[in-house]
Amino acid sequence: MAFQSPSPQPSIFKKKAHGSTPNSTPALSLSSSATSSSSETVLDDLGLDYDNGLSYPRVPPTSEQVFTTVHSEFGHCANEKYRYTSQHRAGTQYKSYPEQDPPYYILLTTYLSYLMVICLGHLRDFVGKRLQPSHYRHLVSQHGYAALNSDFDSFYTRRLKTRIDDCFSHPVTGVPGRTMVLLDRYSPDYNVTMVPSGTRTRGLNISSYNYLGFAQARGGCADAVETSINRYGVSACGSRLEGATLDLHQQAEALVARFVGMEDALISSMGFATNSTIIPALVGKGSLVISDEFNHASIRFGVRISGANVRTFKHNDMPSLEALLREVISQGQPKTHRPWKKILVIVEGLFSMEGTLANLPVIMELKKKYKFNLFVDEAHSIGALGPHGRGVADYFGVNPRQIDILMGTFTKSFGAAGGYIAGSKALIDRLRVHGHSGCYAEAMTPPVLTQVIASTASIMGISSAPEKSSSLSLTARSDAINPELEMEAYPGRAPLSILPAWMPITPSMADGTDGKMRLRRLGFNARYLNRGLRKLGFITYGHDDSPVVPLLLFNPGKMAVFSRLMRTRQVPIIVVVVAYPATPLVTSRVRFCLSASHTKEDVDLVLTACDEIGDLLDLKQGSGERWSLQEITDRAVELVGMPELV
Amino acid sequence: MSASVSSLEPLFTFVSNSYSNIETSFFKIPGSAVIARYVKSSHRDDPGRTLLEVILIIFAIRTLLQSRTKAEPSGKHFIEFSEKEIDELVDEWTPEELAQPLTAVEQSDLNAVPVIAGPVGPKPKLTNGKTVLNLASYNFAGLAGNAEIKERCIDILKKYGLGSCGPPGFYGTQDVHIQLEQDIADFLGTEAAIIYSQAFSTISSVIPAFCKRGDVIVADRGVNFAIQKGLQISRCTIRWYDHSDMASLEKVLESVEKERRKKKMPLTRRFIVTEGIFDHDGAMSDLPKLVELKLKYKYRLILDESVSFGSVGRTGRGLTELYNVPASQVDMLVGSMANGLTSAGGFCAGSHTVVKHQRINAPSVVFSAALPALLAAAASEGINIMRNTPSILSMLQENVRAVRAILDKVDCIAIPSHPASAIIHINVRSSSTVMPIAPMSPTSPISPASPMSPLSPSTAKLSNPVSVRQRGAPHFDMEAEERLLQEVVEDTLAQGVMVTRAKRLHGQEMIEVRPSIRLAISAAMSRKDCEKAANVLKASCIKVLSKRR
Ligand SMILES: Cc1ncc(COP(=O)(O)O)c(C=O)c1O
Repeated sequence: MAFQSPSPQPSIFKKKAHGSTPNSTPALSLSSSATSSSSETVLDDLGLDYDNGLSYPRVPPTSEQVFTTVHSEFGHCANEKYRYTSQHRAGTQYKSYPEQDPPYYILLTTYLSYLMVICLGHLRDFVGKRLQPSHYRHLVSQHGYAALNSDFDSFYTRRLKTRIDDCFSHPVTGVPGRTMVLLDRYSPDYNVTMVPSGTRTRGLNISSYNYLGFAQARGGCADAVETSINRYGVSACGSRLEGATLDLHQQAEALVARFVGMEDALISSMGFATNSTIIPALVGKGSLVISDEFNHASIRFGVRISGANVRTFKHNDMPSLEALLREVISQGQPKTHRPWKKILVIVEGLFSMEGTLANLPVIMELKKKYKFNLFVDEAHSIGALGPHGRGVADYFGVNPRQIDILMGTFTKSFGAAGGYIAGSKALIDRLRVHGHSGCYAEAMTPPVLTQVIASTASIMGISSAPEKSSSLSLTARSDAINPELEMEAYPGRAPLSILPAWMPITPSMADGTDGKMRLRRLGFNARYLNRGLRKLGFITYGHDDSPVVPLLLFNPGKMAVFSRLMRTRQVPIIVVVVAYPATPLVTSRVRFCLSASHTKEDVDLVLTACDEIGDLLDLKQGSGERWSLQEITDRAVELVGMPELV
Repeated sequence: MSASVSSLEPLFTFVSNSYSNIETSFFKIPGSAVIARYVKSSHRDDPGRTLLEVILIIFAIRTLLQSRTKAEPSGKHFIEFSEKEIDELVDEWTPEELAQPLTAVEQSDLNAVPVIAGPVGPKPKLTNGKTVLNLASYNFAGLAGNAEIKERCIDILKKYGLGSCGPPGFYGTQDVHIQLEQDIADFLGTEAAIIYSQAFSTISSVIPAFCKRGDVIVADRGVNFAIQKGLQISRCTIRWYDHSDMASLEKVLESVEKERRKKKMPLTRRFIVTEGIFDHDGAMSDLPKLVELKLKYKYRLILDESVSFGSVGRTGRGLTELYNVPASQVDMLVGSMANGLTSAGGFCAGSHTVVKHQRINAPSVVFSAALPALLAAAASEGINIMRNTPSILSMLQENVRAVRAILDKVDCIAIPSHPASAIIHINVRSSSTVMPIAPMSPTSPISPASPMSPLSPSTAKLSNPVSVRQRGAPHFDMEAEERLLQEVVEDTLAQGVMVTRAKRLHGQEMIEVRPSIRLAISAAMSRKDCEKAANVLKASCIKVLSKRR
C-alpha cells in the first residue's frame, strides 16, 4: 500500500499554538511555511480576483498550520469550534421546520404576477402570430408535419421561463468546489440566444451538490484517480454482464456495501438510471408502490416502467401514509381485491427541493406493523447526514439492515458520478441479473470508480489490516464474505485489504481525520445557515441539519432578481433558483446547497447578502424571534449548538 | 299561467330569503363592507377589471386545489371495512419475498462472468491470472488505453476535478461539455447535439421528450431494449413493422395514413424509430430507403446509432457516412460515446430546435448530473483521433472481414449480422430449418438493399402492425440454445478467448430474441490475433454444437 505524504506534517492542520481572538478564523495557507509552496494551496489558474477572499484567504496565515487543499476549492478553516456532528437526538420526535405561509398580499401578488405574464404571453402570441408568422412557424403544423413542440405545449417555456433564462444552464468551468468560475454571457434578444462574452467570473459556489467537498482537482482523491487513469484508461468498454466487469467494480461494490452497512451492493453508471432501471426489477404487475408525492423524477420513471400500481401520499405526512397503508392492504388490488403481492414504500432520505428528511423512526414502526418493503433513495443524504456520513439511517440511529433497499448516488457527496443499490446478497444478485443496467447499460468507468473508492475510504477511514488479509486485495470478490472482513462492525473503517493495492492513500485519509473533518464542517455549515436565515426572518423549509436549504421567494419575478443580485455582488455568489413545475406554483424558491468546503466566513457572506437582498425584496416574512446580522455572526457557535431553535 | 306563477311563488320567496340571509351574514364578516364597496365601484368604473379579477380568483382556487395531492378515487369497487376488520386484514396479509433467489442456472451464469483485472484492451488479464484475447468489449476503434486520451483526461482532472456535481440546468454545464457537443455536431454534420450521461438512458429519454400521448410511432420489431422502454414511457400509439423490412414499413405507413384519413383524426407528430445496426442481431438498416419513406410519408426519423456510430463509415461517423446520406436528414440521431468512443454517455444530434427542446424536456438531462468533465474530454479526443486517422476504421473492417471469413463457413452456426457490422451475433443453426434465420439477408453496404418482391412471404401473410409479434416468426428452444451457447462461451474462455453471450432480460424484452453470442471486433487487435480468436471460437462451436446432434 503506497502511503503518500503530501508534507512532512501528517495532519491536515495543527492546532493553533498562540491564542488569537475567538471566532475569527485564521484561514491559513502554507505561504509562509517552508514545507510546501504557496501556489499549491491558493492556486488560481485564471489569475482572477485577488482581494475578495475567494482565491486567497482574507486573513494572512501563520506558519503553524498546514493546509493541503486549495483555498478556492476547499476553504481553509482551522477553527475547531466551527464543527458540528449531525445526529438525531435520541428520544425526540423528528420535526422539520413548520411550513409557514406568507402574508396574503404576497400570495396575491404571486398569483397576480403569474396571471400577468400569462395574459401578456397570450397577447404577444396573438399579435405575434399575425404580424410575424415566421417566428411561429416551428410551432405550428407545416408541410404535413405536426409541430415538434406546439405553441400550446411550449407556452410555459417560451413566455415564462425565457424571461429568466439567464438564471439557468449557466456554463461554468473549473472545479465546482467552494468557488466556481462562471463563463459570462449576455443575450442580445431577451434570452432567446445567449452569447458568451469571453470574460469569466469567480463566485462563491453555494449551488453544487458538493456536500462533502470532494469536488477537488487536488488532493488524495484526485491523485488516486490520476493513478487509475494511467493504469486502467478511461473505459470499461461494455456492460457488466457482457464482459465489462473489472476488479475495480468488485472492490467498489464491496466497499460501498460496508459503507452503508448492507450485505452487498450494486453499482450503476448513472444515478438516474439506478432508479429507472432497477425499480422495474423489484416490482411489477400485482405489486403496489407507495411513493412520497415529492419523490424524484427518476423514481417515477422507474415505477412507471415497472408496471406496478402507484399511490402517493402527502409529503412526509405519516398519518396520511398510515391511512393509505390501511386502505390499500384492506382493499387489495383494484377490482379483483386480491391481496397485493408486494408493497414497496419509496421515500427519499433528504428531499432535494424541500430540505426535509424522511421520518425514518416512524416509517420503521409502520414497517413493522404493516410488513411493507422499504426503499430509501439516499441520493442527497448519503455522505451528507449522520455522525458517520452514512445517511439518514445513521442520522436517526436506525439499523440499516432493517431497511430493505438503500439506494444512493455518487454525484453528490462523493464528487463522482453514478449510483448504487444496497441490500441483502440475494436481492442484489437478483438485481444484477434482472435489472436493466446489468445487461444493457455501460459499466461505470475506472476513473469514476476510483473516485468512489477513494472518497468512500476517506469518509470511513482505513483500518490497517493484518498482513495476511492484504493478499486478498486483488481477488477480493464481493460474494466472498470473509469473516475477517466482517470483523469491524458498522459503521466501521474500510479494511485496507479490499482497497486497490496501487491506490495512493494520504495519511489523513487513512486515519479518518479527513472524513471526520468534512462531516463536521458540513454539519456546522448546514445548521448555521439554516438557523441564521431563520433568525434573519426568512421563510425556509426543511430541517436544521439539512445541507439543502430552500429559502422561499414566492413571487416569480423575485427569483430572477435574487439570482442576478447575488451574481453581481462584489463577491459574487452563485445560487440556484427553482420554480414551477419543479415546485408548487406559489412556492418559488432559491436553494442553497452547503458544502464542507465552505468556511464560516463564506456562510457569513451568504447571510450578509441575503440580509441585504431580503430587505430589498421584502422577503423577511417569517415569524419567530429575530437577531441582527451582527448578532448571528458573532453568536454562530451558540446558535448552532442550541438543541432547538426558539 | 297565473297558476304556474303562484306555484313558483314559494320558490321565489325562498330564493330571495336565502339571498338576503347570505347578504346579512356576509356583512356580518368584518371588513366585508369594504369588499362590497370595492367590487361595486370597480365594476362601475371598469367592467373589464371585474372580469380579470374573477379569472384571477378562479385561477387561484384552481391552483390551490391542484396542489393538493389527489387521492386516487377508489371508485365503485371500494369496500367499507370497520377498523377492526382492517386490523385483521393487515395481520393476515403476507407479502411475497421482495426478491426470489436466483435459479441455479442464473447463479452459475452470474458466477461465470469473467472479471478483468487491470485495463481493458485487446489482451486483458483476468482475475484468475490468465491473459485472454478479447472479442467481448466494445472497443471498435481501439481507443481504450490510448495514451493521448489518458493524457488529456489527466489534464482535465487537474483543472475540473472529477464530478460535475450538478445537473446541466444548474451549473452542471461545463465548457468541456459544450465543446463535446460542438465536436459531435461538427463530426456528424448536424446543427447541434446534446449529451446524456449514460448511453442506455439516452434514447429512452429522447423518445418521451418528443412523443406524447396521441402521437404515432412506427417502430421496427427488432429494436433494442432501451428503445422499447422509451416507447413504453412515451404512451404514444405504436405500430410495428417487420424487422429490417422496408416493404413492411411502407405498408404500415400507408395503413396509418389511411386510418387517420378514415377517422378524420387531426395531424399529430409521427415518428419512425429504428436502429442503424441492430443491437439484437447486427442487422443493418437501409438508411436511404428509410429516408425516402420518411420524406414521402412525412415522418420524423429517430435513428439509434449506438452500435454503428464509431464502427462503420470511412471515419466512423456511422450509417450516414456509410450510405452518404446527410446527417441532417435524420431528425434525431442518437449515438453512444460509451460504445463508439470508449468513453461514457450518449448523445442526440439534430437541428437546433430538436436539441434545445431536449434540454428542458428530456428526463435524464433535466434530472441527472452532467457527465464528468474528463469523460467528456475523452470523447472529444476520441472524435479527434478518428477524424484524423481513417486507417483505424479500415483496419476495423479488415478485422471484421477476417473473422467473418472464418465463421461464415461454420455449418452449425448462423450469423444474422451484416457483413460490415463490427458486432457479430452468432446463433445456433437449427437442425430442422435450412433457411437462414436472418429476416433480411445481408446486403453489401454500397448497393442499396434489394427491394422485397411484392410476393415475398411477409406480404402474403402480413403481421398485425398493432402487435409487436411477427406472424410466422421462427420457433426456437430458448433455454437449450442458451445453454449450448454458454457452453461455447466457457469453452472458448478456457482456450484463452473472451467472448460473451448477448445477455437479455427474458420476459422483459417485448419479443424474445434468439439467443446469440455477441462478438465485438476491435481495430486494436492484430489481424493474426483476430483470426486466431475466431478459429478458437469456431473449434468450440463445432465441438459443442455437433455434440448435440
Ligand atoms: C433523489 C434523487 N435520486 C436520483 C437522482 C439522480 O442522480 P444522478 O444525478 O446521479 O443521475 C437525484 C439527482 O438529482 C436525486 O435527487
